[in-house]
Amino acid sequence: MSLQLLFDAMALGGIYAVAALGIALIFGVMRLVNFAHGQFIACAVFALIVPSADALAVMGLGALPAPVLIPLILLIGAGLAVAAEALVFRPMRNASPVALMVSSFALGVALQNLLLVLYGGRPKAVSLWAELGHPVRIAGASVPLLQLIVVAAVVVVLAGLALMLRKTRLGLEMRAAAEDFTMARMLGVRSNRVISAAFALSGGLAAVVALVLVAQTGVADVRMGGQIMLVAFIATVVGGMGSLSGAVAAGLGIGAASALLQAGLPAEARPFRDAFLYGGVILVLLFRPQGLFAPVGAKPRV
Amino acid sequence: MPKLGVYDLAVRYGKLTAISDLSFAVAEGERVFISGPNGAGKSSLLSAIAGAVRAAHGRIEMDGEILSGLGPESIARRGLSMVPEGRRIFSGLTVLENLSVGTGMRNDRSAVAEDLEIAYTAFPILRERAKSPAGNLSGGQQQMLAIARALMTNPKVMLVDEPSLGLAPKVVDEVYDRLCQLQALRALTLVIVEQSSARAARVGGRMLLMRGGRIVADGDAASFAARDLLTEAYFGDAA
Ligand SMILES: Nc1ncnc2c1ncn2[C@@H]1O[C@H](COP(=O)(O)OP(=O)(O)O)[C@@H](O)[C@H]1O
Ligand SMILES: [Mg+2]
Repeated sequence: MSLQLLFDAMALGGIYAVAALGIALIFGVMRLVNFAHGQFIACAVFALIVPSADALAVMGLGALPAPVLIPLILLIGAGLAVAAEALVFRPMRNASPVALMVSSFALGVALQNLLLVLYGGRPKAVSLWAELGHPVRIAGASVPLLQLIVVAAVVVVLAGLALMLRKTRLGLEMRAAAEDFTMARMLGVRSNRVISAAFALSGGLAAVVALVLVAQTGVADVRMGGQIMLVAFIATVVGGMGSLSGAVAAGLGIGAASALLQAGLPAEARPFRDAFLYGGVILVLLFRPQGLFAPVGAKPRV
Repeated sequence: MPKLGVYDLAVRYGKLTAISDLSFAVAEGERVFISGPNGAGKSSLLSAIAGAVRAAHGRIEMDGEILSGLGPESIARRGLSMVPEGRRIFSGLTVLENLSVGTGMRNDRSAVAEDLEIAYTAFPILRERAKSPAGNLSGGQQQMLAIARALMTNPKVMLVDEPSLGLAPKVVDEVYDRLCQLQALRALTLVIVEQSSARAARVGGRMLLMRGGRIVADGDAASFAARDLLTEAYFGDAA
């Protein structure tokens, strides 16, 4: 296997893992599958550019230097998710999981329409950090610098999140709440704080995905979040709903498998790559319907 | 003013009425057992007091302050702590992490350290296993952890739901010994659900007997035990 292919597989898997983690975090504390996550990603993408219906995007925030741009977009993603929780999901705190899921769909549709109104429906060419496309040579292979950075960024994000969950007060409260929310509350853990934190982290992760997608594809498309949301959702199911490490592992696995199939399948079979991929997913779920890493003792919310 | 007062409480799950017209008061430092058959509403009563289930009707007060209507975290922050039925240990967290969940609301760092020492002294096994996942503990050890975890919130009132469930008699002895020691040490007010009136009599305290979601008798635990022994003598060991 070439080094280039290895990095492709890791980069794609890493992005799916980060997206899946954004869904699993919220599911963990709220038992809500947030189908608006894809639109959180799309909103973070479009936050880079000036609203207009033109095909060529004019950079707004996207023109800022990276050390300013990256934290700003992360904050926007986190802020959007926290606001969505406060305005949409908090008033429904005692609603059934199905009702919550349906309103997350509705929120997603609303956000997508907002983007359509502001930016039009045509995909736009966006040039973010174009200089990172240059290849660098490692061990005789040529790998785009961007792929290296993406892989490093994913490692940093995952390690940072793991540290936060293991070592901080908030992380402890989130892990306790994910296991037994009511019990955690009976020990004084504030539900609003834990849920807001889960949404903030999830929104931040959506922004990471957004930045990587734009840098990799050079396109801003109102629909781009929906596709990755689908893969991420499948990854959380395969990983075991509620298991963070399961979501990461399954995201990595699906991304890597996808990249390897793309390279390894004969040319005439490539259009059916996703059929092979999801065939594998179905096989996994046939043998382990609860997912690969179903969490121990996860209890329903409230 | 009673430490804990429950007035006209009703709890419903949809159409099912688990508790109705229930009132009682507990004095500061008192130990009250709640007994009664399965489905009598004992756990529902404790859950309603702790705010884990909503009261359909009635009022719950601690130190004259109304608790009913508050969320469980607000009730915990006012000094009421729960050792729930089935222990509800966070099995993926370590023993020490379990003990730490309830200290987030406290600002008295040195008192928290003292309380941890008290918990470890009462239950040395928890110190030994501090770094291992709580899910690996035995049933008795998990019960001890649940009690210690509740203690770490620095409660004034502690509710304990069936601490003896599924434990060997010797372990139950130990659990009750520690519970009574901790009550004396921390001037706790204790409300304990206990099926066995003999056990309640041996530990000592007041007892409320529940049936069909109401309190049907209230008195000294020893007098209940004597009555149960009589029933046992005449009708076999069903009680
Ligand atoms: N979460 C619940 N949903 C619906 N019914 C419940 C629930 N919890 C308890 N019940 C019902 O309420 C009644 C009282 O139960 P419970 O309080 O657990 O009694 P006890 O602890 O005395 O055994 C029972 O009929 C039980 O089936
Ligand atoms: Mg019970």
